Amino acid sequence: MTIDRNLAFLSAAEQGRMIRSRKLSPVDLVQSYLDRIGSYDDVLRAYITVCAESALAAARNAEREIAAGNWRGPLHGIPYGVKDQICTRGVRTTLGSKINADYVPDFDATVVAKLERAGAILIGKENLHEFGKGGTNVFPYGQPRNPWNPERTPSSSSSGSGIAPAAGFCSGSLGEDTGGSIRGPAAANGVVGLRPTYGRVSRYGAIMHAWHSDTIGPVTRTVEDNALLLSAIAGYDELDALTSKRAVPDFLSAFTPDLKGLRVATVTEMAWPEGVHAEVRSAFERALRVLKELGAEVGEVSLPWAKHAIPLQMLTSDADSASMYRDLLRTRWNDFDVGTRTRMATALLVPAPVYSRAMRARAVVRRQILNALTHWDALLCPTNLNPPALIADAREQVKSKADVTQRLILRRISTHPFGVANTPALALPMGFTRDGLPLSLQIAGRPFAEETVYRIGHAFERATPWHQRHPDLDHTLAGVRERGTAEA
Amino acid sequence: MELTTEQLRAMAGAIGLDIPEADRENVRLRLSTLLSEMEIIERELGREMERTEPVPPVYPHEEF
Repeated sequence: MTIDRNLAFLSAAEQGRMIRSRKLSPVDLVQSYLDRIGSYDDVLRAYITVCAESALAAARNAEREIAAGNWRGPLHGIPYGVKDQICTRGVRTTLGSKINADYVPDFDATVVAKLERAGAILIGKENLHEFGKGGTNVFPYGQPRNPWNPERTPSSSSSGSGIAPAAGFCSGSLGEDTGGSIRGPAAANGVVGLRPTYGRVSRYGAIMHAWHSDTIGPVTRTVEDNALLLSAIAGYDELDALTSKRAVPDFLSAFTPDLKGLRVATVTEMAWPEGVHAEVRSAFERALRVLKELGAEVGEVSLPWAKHAIPLQMLTSDADSASMYRDLLRTRWNDFDVGTRTRMATALLVPAPVYSRAMRARAVVRRQILNALTHWDALLCPTNLNPPALIADAREQVKSKADVTQRLILRRISTHPFGVANTPALALPMGFTRDGLPLSLQIAGRPFAEETVYRIGHAFERATPWHQRHPDLDHTLAGVRERGTAEA
Repeated sequence: MELTTEQLRAMAGAIGLDIPEADRENVRLRLSTLLSEMEIIERELGREMERTEPVPPVYPHEEF
């Protein structure tokens, strides 16, 4: 392991402490990430746009400010990436689509402005499924690949936001989660991802359109880093009418070494459905034992309506989103990826009475989940029921209704219910398969109880070694390079 | 629910969308499946849905 590799995989919290004490230069840190991106991202395709010059300039400025005694906080000088669905002043924002290839916003999304005020440094815009919809078949800016095995999917839709911290291309990312788009990539890439409570983080300046489900959240290598990033981006924003005015708590102060006094429950239908992979099941059972050893009371709860969350999201969130692309679908059909255009066209054709009834059904499903959370502090299940699939197998082929049910609906059972309920949900590493693929635990809490899911996640992380494991890209990418399958 | 191609074409036409032949069956299968799922949801949750307003999923109350 080289010094640069050690530096790249340090937690953001530790990097921040070293920057504050001037043991680490932000310029060296940014350069270290740029070097790694230059060496490996031709295969992994985490980034659509790398902001090398502006990041180095910001790093030099941070170094000067800190030397002058103007330390802004724990993220000062910390490089981060952001899903290319979130607007950045002067930096193109493609949404992963060639339709938006030339769009350069003249403003920053609120989350980007807040991170800039905290002293964090934007290093690049991260790859995603087109328009933040899962199911892209051909990526205009390169096929994103899993750093643990580049033949495998990094999941969707915040693919690059999961790859980049896992591969040591930044200290942390921001992703966007409507149904599972932060948690899926965090799980597939072996890192920590949070879908915050709806209303905790401003959506202003992110191009999403599923107004009742979209959330922006951090993807990081540790739970502490995740809490640091959330602390910086959370809070009321007058530019987003649905952000909450509740005070943002000190998430880090909730950390405890044990979990005594907490009651957590596995969700039967989300944890043990038909088709859960044997190694996922084993890792999840081991994770439950760890939580018990930490002092949590672990039970089980049945949420039989949770399975309806996936079609209900597609009938409502997709319809709201697709309505904003109607004119483009009329005029530029062939410029959309086939997975995006067929999914959006489907949503455009949902009859209004069905949409309205589906919104009622969402409220019913949501109430069942919230009722469970009045009895339990947190709900648990694996984040993904299978290890990351081969890229070809993960594509959403639709040749029969069974394909739609299996590939588009059932595989999302573990993430979408918490999207419908709009509760905070944390994905974090819970082990690896025998083949070295990451497995992930999901912890969902009560609305605005991010500190509880962080507390459980942090104690679990301290008790397990999984977050200390990082992909050796010289090894994992060697096969792809030899076969020459990396895209130009 | 099993939509026909003709029904799908008419629905798309009503909003000015001309889905090319190559993608029509894909969209038909997706929409037919989702409408079938909604029929199942209506059978299972219909009575609850009658008593529930589609309140936006924000949290105006202290308890949630």
